[in-house]
Amino acid sequence: MSSVAARRNSLRSRIWRHRHFYLFISPFFVLFGIFGLYPLLFSFYLSFARWDGLTELTWAGLGNFAALVHDEVFFTSLWNTFAIGVLYVPPMFIGAFVFAIILNTTWLKFRAFFRAAFFMPVVTPMVVVAIVFILLYGQEAGLINYLAARMGFQPIPWLVSEQWSKPAIALLLVWRWTGYNMVLMLAGLQGISNEYYEAARIEGAGAFQRMWHITLPLMRPIFIFCSIMSLIGTVYMFDEVFVLTQGGPGTSSTNFGLYLFNVSFVDFKFGYASCMAYTVAFFVFITSLFILRLRRSELT
Amino acid sequence: MLSAAGRDDGARLQTRGKAGIITRMTKRTIAGQRAAALVLVSALAFIGGSFAGEPLTLDPSISPTDLTGNIQVWGWNIAAASLEKLVPPFNDIYPRVIVHVNMTGAYLQSRFLLSLSAGVGAPDVSQLQLAEAARYSRTRRLTDLTPVARKYEKDFPASFWKNCVFEGRIHAIPWDMGPCAVFYKRDLFRRYQIDPASIETWDDYIGAGRLLLERSGGQTKMLQLSTGNMEGLFEILLQQNAGQMFDDEGRIAINSPQAVRVMSVIQRILEAGINANITPYSHASYASMKSDLVATYPTAAWFGGTIKDYAPETKGDWGVFRLPAMERGGLRTSNLGGSVLVIPDQCSQKAAAWAFIDYTLCTREAQIEQYRNFDLFPAFLPIHGDPFFDEPDPFYGGQKVRRLFSQDIERIPPLNRTKDWFEALRYLTQSLSKWATNGMGPPEEFLAQLEDKLSRRLGRDIAPQAHLEGS
Repeated sequence: MSSVAARRNSLRSRIWRHRHFYLFISPFFVLFGIFGLYPLLFSFYLSFARWDGLTELTWAGLGNFAALVHDEVFFTSLWNTFAIGVLYVPPMFIGAFVFAIILNTTWLKFRAFFRAAFFMPVVTPMVVVAIVFILLYGQEAGLINYLAARMGFQPIPWLVSEQWSKPAIALLLVWRWTGYNMVLMLAGLQGISNEYYEAARIEGAGAFQRMWHITLPLMRPIFIFCSIMSLIGTVYMFDEVFVLTQGGPGTSSTNFGLYLFNVSFVDFKFGYASCMAYTVAFFVFITSLFILRLRRSELT
Repeated sequence: MLSAAGRDDGARLQTRGKAGIITRMTKRTIAGQRAAALVLVSALAFIGGSFAGEPLTLDPSISPTDLTGNIQVWGWNIAAASLEKLVPPFNDIYPRVIVHVNMTGAYLQSRFLLSLSAGVGAPDVSQLQLAEAARYSRTRRLTDLTPVARKYEKDFPASFWKNCVFEGRIHAIPWDMGPCAVFYKRDLFRRYQIDPASIETWDDYIGAGRLLLERSGGQTKMLQLSTGNMEGLFEILLQQNAGQMFDDEGRIAINSPQAVRVMSVIQRILEAGINANITPYSHASYASMKSDLVATYPTAAWFGGTIKDYAPETKGDWGVFRLPAMERGGLRTSNLGGSVLVIPDQCSQKAAAWAFIDYTLCTREAQIEQYRNFDLFPAFLPIHGDPFFDEPDPFYGGQKVRRLFSQDIERIPPLNRTKDWFEALRYLTQSLSKWATNGMGPPEEFLAQLEDKLSRRLGRDIAPQAHLEGS
């Protein structure tokens, strides 16, 4: 008993002795507590409540989760998120990798220019991008359909049909994020020592073999990193959909991020929104762990 | 899309051999995003208190010239512009009240609700859509205007006033209303020899659309109607036919004979192919006002202000004919939209704020100015008999459109609004889009499914059928 008290005393006295240091590191913890931890815990609590931010908060128990199971828009939004991801991630990866390889070659001129040009879409404000794409995608007067009509094709109802809204968004995403992934992959390519290639060349390996046995295996960590970033980016994607289609027509392009926004900041159902966010965050966390586990076994 | 944390760390990727970096980054990214999304909510919990303000009363000893204040007003596009234009004449009467009109209308509703919730940050006067008034007044965070506004009850259409009152207390003052008619392009009607006077019913309208399509070689469509945004036309038709989304007790009343008729009109329009698939309020939509693509716009009076704003060079080319009826002799108007002004309870200058509302919404000169300059059709009834309504409007080739819009407005059936009106409208939009995409099944089936969905999603009962037929 007395030893416990003594230990506690010594802890307290140690803290007191080092109080200046604790004071110096306290801003982070205070800010994190207010803006990081508290919202996290409060929204967890909210997942079990009904609250519009204005009237009384009422306890809902598992009511929100029960409603979630029967919420067809929620499942549609998850499906759309998945479908958009499947539509844009592969072409984006392939494009980024191909461009990175081209930019990594020694014979290419104006390399800095191309690198900047490919990265441009990432730093362009989304609203500007959206306006340009809306003009391109217009069914009756859009540039793409105008060109298609000149070549004898039927106009494509990009943003006004349930079938085409997801490909339209995917196309914008490919355009917007290929450059970003390209820069990451380029960094990865530049990190591969030239000695491997020289040795392989001496051994008589062809270009394909060098790619298959050196570049791809050594690039795997970058690919995994890009995959995780894309997974998170896809699940929480918001601005592209919000400015281009607002989730329409119907719910055909409503993804999880947009649905979460609608439920919380249009319908003001904070409890239900928290419940949704926690459920999905849980699955994103599990998936990320899974991808990382894959990678760890790869390394060992 | 990709998080900010991800972008910043791009350069550090060179250290890819270190296994921990991705784990740390991923966790941090997730935590960061969750925190960002929810910090707002928690902030509300911190400062959101309960408000139960006193009803607004005025000190009779303060004259207009003595009243002081510095008030912020929130509104959107032409409405805000119209209020701004009224500030100088307002200052002639109230010289010491400074008015700032804030015209950024983007997500005004959400920002406004958040400010109400937080207890700070709301303007002194805000515009709201009429359909939202119910949602806001039940929060009890709007000033109770009953003592000062009761005298105006008879001056506004009953159906509008009803939306401004919650539990017998007045929380909003009606501003403009949206009586409906059809805007049309005179030159297109002349070119393709269509007589607007011959269009009396929706059948006539669709017939004229077919003629137009045929005579223009498919170049000109009768209206813009995007299958992803059909709720506007649905609402116009539903109110015209005395249908309801909700009955008087807030139960779901969408599965009604009136709604079946509405659906059949929409179905016939789509089947005839007379619609251009253009999203409303999009660039293409604004561009269509200046081209030959779309000949008519069945919508509310305020749309005139939008045309004048986006296509001023089309002056004189426009005409208006009355909204087609369901059958010959039927009601040829409806309502879409309309707005109100409110004073949040957190406002510290309520007397000045009320003076501004009182001047802009409840005086003849202010209402007439707003209609003249911005096509905001006044909900303030005392001026409807004014000779101003019989003046020809050069923008519409000298047609007396104001009188046309004011016809029969007292006969427009009221539409019940609930606090979740916009949520319901969103489900309606989504369901209509799916219905149109999947080959337009029978309206009865569609409405039964919609009724079920609304009931489930909004947690409301379904109104008994007998009640609907009697309504």
